[in-house]
Amino acid sequence: MTRDEIEILLVEDSPEDVELTLHALRREKLANRIEVARDGEEALNFLFCRGPYAGRRFEDAPRLVLLDLKLPKVDGMEVLRAVKGDLRTKAIPVVILTASREERDLVNGYHLGANGYIQKPVDFDNFRNVVKQLGLYWLVVNEPPPPRAFQPR
Amino acid sequence: MKAALSELAEQYELALEDYLASAGEAALEGAYRVGRRALADALGVMELSAIHREALGRVLRDCRTTEECARTAAAATGFFAESLAPYEMALRGFRESSEQLRLANEALEQRRSELAAANKELEAFTYSVSHDLRAPLRHVDGFSKLLLEECSEGLPEEAHRYLTEVREGTRRMGQMVDDLLKLTRLGRSELSVQLTGLNSLLKEVLHDLKPELEGRQIEWRLSQLPFVECDPALMKQVLANLLSNALKFTRLQERTVIEVGMTTQDGSPVIFVRDNGVGFSMKYADKLFGVFQRLHRPEDFEGTGVGLATVQRIVHKHGGRVWAEAELNKGATFYFTLGQPERQGMENNSKAGGAV
Repeated sequence: MTRDEIEILLVEDSPEDVELTLHALRREKLANRIEVARDGEEALNFLFCRGPYAGRRFEDAPRLVLLDLKLPKVDGMEVLRAVKGDLRTKAIPVVILTASREERDLVNGYHLGANGYIQKPVDFDNFRNVVKQLGLYWLVVNEPPPPRAFQPR
Repeated sequence: MKAALSELAEQYELALEDYLASAGEAALEGAYRVGRRALADALGVMELSAIHREALGRVLRDCRTTEECARTAAAATGFFAESLAPYEMALRGFRESSEQLRLANEALEQRRSELAAANKELEAFTYSVSHDLRAPLRHVDGFSKLLLEECSEGLPEEAHRYLTEVREGTRRMGQMVDDLLKLTRLGRSELSVQLTGLNSLLKEVLHDLKPELEGRQIEWRLSQLPFVECDPALMKQVLANLLSNALKFTRLQERTVIEVGMTTQDGSPVIFVRDNGVGFSMKYADKLFGVFQRLHRPEDFEGTGVGLATVQRIVHKHGGRVWAEAELNKGATFYFTLGQPERQGMENNSKAGGAV
């Protein structure tokens, strides 16, 4: 992985949530290179190296995707289905970060291969703590998939 | 029965003879009278017809010519037909009332499915509102925290307090939204019923409540509880909510006494949780189980007012009843019964039964 690769893709349509999440991530100095996709289509373009991201390579996958479920155009579940249904993107860790704690969303999310599911806490201190733990686990503790994991067999 | 039958036969023959003698409209009244009585005695048409044949045999014996026989037989048949009129009326009435019953059932079924649909819609609405409410709450809380942290230098002392109040408000509302969500989830979830020992559930609850017991003098009076058909996870929540209420509202008591026991009502078990806490006035007893209803000031006793609403919903889902008795400053007792729990897939079964 080269130095300037994106570490976290944050898929989030609410600008306030984007700001608060970025603030929390930066405060913990866990991730410097964060890409924000404001809807599902943008997220898919980024992850599948299409459109404005045609120059990206699949093996430079982000270490973590934080995925909101309620998104304009293509919703979070569709993004998850596409990512986990393609060998070139399947190994990317995707954690759902959403307001919903509805059982149906949890079941669908895990069935589609989500690597985690977190309900955004209302309390900002709790939210920051959650973001810190997420960053710590996926960017520091967890061993990321090697480039070969992103090649279609 | 036999005596009644022969009495009726006699009455029939007399009425028939009367009719044949006068052949007037007025004499037909006799036919109706006999018919009504036969119907009242729950006599079938076949039995009445047997009575008619016998009576006809006897009246024909008195006929002298063939024409007279034919005329009498025709008239008697007419009489018999009239005597069946009450049967026709009853049949028509029966048809009408069964049609009315069918229509009433249809209307009832229609109402039931409308109600179920409205309930579903309401729950979905509450759920999505609760979710959508969380987002702006998160933002208010997040940005006011950032304001406190990053721009605190220029802020006067008062502003700090105001912002702290803002955050406290969002925290409270967040708690209410979460509790409301839990309550709606409860409404939608299916019961998973099994035979459960309430004693072991109580033990688990007391174990979970350990942190709240810290530093308190409590006299527990626990009696044997029965095994019941219930959803153990939900029943545990009922006991947990009732016990944590008991603990909460006895906090100011010097000596806390909490009793969990069982009595019976009409042969069915009634579980109760009794405390010697602040209690409440029975004047407000009807408000006790309402969502967000509180009988105490938040600065005296914390809470969102969802605990007892949850208890009630769970007990109702089990087909039971919950009620309370209390006296201000003397303590409160909460009782609940468990009836027939809502069975999983019951609706499907009843639908299948209806189609057969």
